[in-house]
Amino acid sequence: MRETLGKMLLSLGEQDESLVLVTADVGDSTRAMYFREKFTSRYFNVGISEQHMVNFAAGLARAGFKPVVICFSMFLMRAWEQIRNSVCRMDLNVKFIATHSGLSDFADGSSHQALEDIALMRVIPGMKIFVPADSFEIERSLSNLLIENRGPLFYRIGRDFNEIITKDCYGEFELGKALVLEEGDDITLIGAGSILKNVLEACNDLRKLGIKASVLDMSSIKPIDENTIERFARRTGLIMTVEEHSIYGGLGSAVAEVIIKKYPVPMRIVGMNGFGRSARSYQELLEYFKLDKKSIVNYAIELLKNAKH
Amino acid sequence: MYTFDQNIHLGSSLSAVEIVTAVLFKHIRSCNSKDWFVLSKGHAAPVLYAALIELGMIPREEMRRIQAIDGILQGHPEIHVEGVDVSSGSLGQAFSVAVGIAMAIKLKREEGRVYVIMGDGEQDEGEVWEAMNNAAKLNLSNLIVIIDENDFQLDGHVEDIRPKHYLPYVWHAVGWDVFMCNGHDIASLDLTLEKAENSRHPSVIFARTIRGKGLKSIENTKIQKPDLNLVKPILENA
Repeated sequence: MRETLGKMLLSLGEQDESLVLVTADVGDSTRAMYFREKFTSRYFNVGISEQHMVNFAAGLARAGFKPVVICFSMFLMRAWEQIRNSVCRMDLNVKFIATHSGLSDFADGSSHQALEDIALMRVIPGMKIFVPADSFEIERSLSNLLIENRGPLFYRIGRDFNEIITKDCYGEFELGKALVLEEGDDITLIGAGSILKNVLEACNDLRKLGIKASVLDMSSIKPIDENTIERFARRTGLIMTVEEHSIYGGLGSAVAEVIIKKYPVPMRIVGMNGFGRSARSYQELLEYFKLDKKSIVNYAIELLKNAKH
Repeated sequence: MYTFDQNIHLGSSLSAVEIVTAVLFKHIRSCNSKDWFVLSKGHAAPVLYAALIELGMIPREEMRRIQAIDGILQGHPEIHVEGVDVSSGSLGQAFSVAVGIAMAIKLKREEGRVYVIMGDGEQDEGEVWEAMNNAAKLNLSNLIVIIDENDFQLDGHVEDIRPKHYLPYVWHAVGWDVFMCNGHDIASLDLTLEKAENSRHPSVIFARTIRGKGLKSIENTKIQKPDLNLVKPILENA
């Protein structure tokens, strides 16, 4: 994901001279260095100063540039107040690319694993949130979101998961539109980000058990696609969300807010309920926290059973 | 500038009257519209509003509705008001934003300076250190900071809360040109601002002031508002 992103940013920098990159000493880790090598004067490494990084970008935006802030999601959260008070309060055109989100920074442990970032961003008025599932979804969305879209936006990606799971059949990109990855009448599984790979694999295993699941890619968490959520709530009568994020305030909460308003059905929010930890591999960590495909299958079966009683 | 039913920071506003006057009337609005003005000590909003009224940018009657539910003038400056270039209120933040603006001006190869007024208590904030360093690294000679050294912050004297007497040395060591002046003397401010404008580095002016200047009962104290019964007749006759 980071490689795709780094190359895309370079290409967008060529398209739009007002695009500038701001980072806090993580240019290499986030692959912003490709942009730096080509556009030295439009690349700013402010040092390990996340609060100033956000404010500096706010100033650049106030004076007419389109700053893209690129930083580990966890450390961007240090600047929550600057994001709120400098960027969103003035409705400035600053885009945040939050890398190493969720559990994807598996080795570094809980200090680096942003599991609360969606919740923190979702409550800020004017902030939009997008979580691409794979490199293809990055390519599909990035130009629209960084260049054409106006105002603050939080773009959340993992460390380096790269498997393509979405398909080239969704038409033109539109923020606020969910992608339907699978269709089935028994239960709707909703995910965002690279965890969708596990959700899709769980969907296949459920099918083998005779359970037909729909799978929605809810990459646009704010604004959220209320119509599609309502349509699938009506169709399947059961909703389960899966996320590499706290069960409080993230994708599950956003979907639940739509469900209670539009068409209440039984629902389960699967995600993290505490801090992460280190592991030797990403997959090992997902299994530990029961976010692997087997656990997702079990959660779905449990929800189906409970709903029948 | 004062009406009687608001929770305004009068003491902090009065210490900055001459600074705001010198910058806005002698160095910015009247001669060069490409300059930016950033009131980083946003709690001194009333003095900025008063100046913008005198400059004809805000209707005079709005001053009576400061902080009112139907007024345009918020407790701290917001950019929807003409003449407010950066919303402020959270200390340290607007200075840090101003560094980005100064960089943008340079990047566009435009003329124009960014004038920032900060408080001395505000210097406690960690993001001031971050922004001060970055501005020096980028050598933003179009950035001029004036620190309203009124010696007080919310809970008391600045030296009791966290000592600050060494700050000029710190700013200088980081790479800023440092100036000192009397913050209540327009001529002194004018001359020092001219020096800062001609500097080849980012500049900071430590302007010595008196908190609550002009209202004897609160001068040089942490008290923001005087006893209104004592002051009302004085202000009404002013």
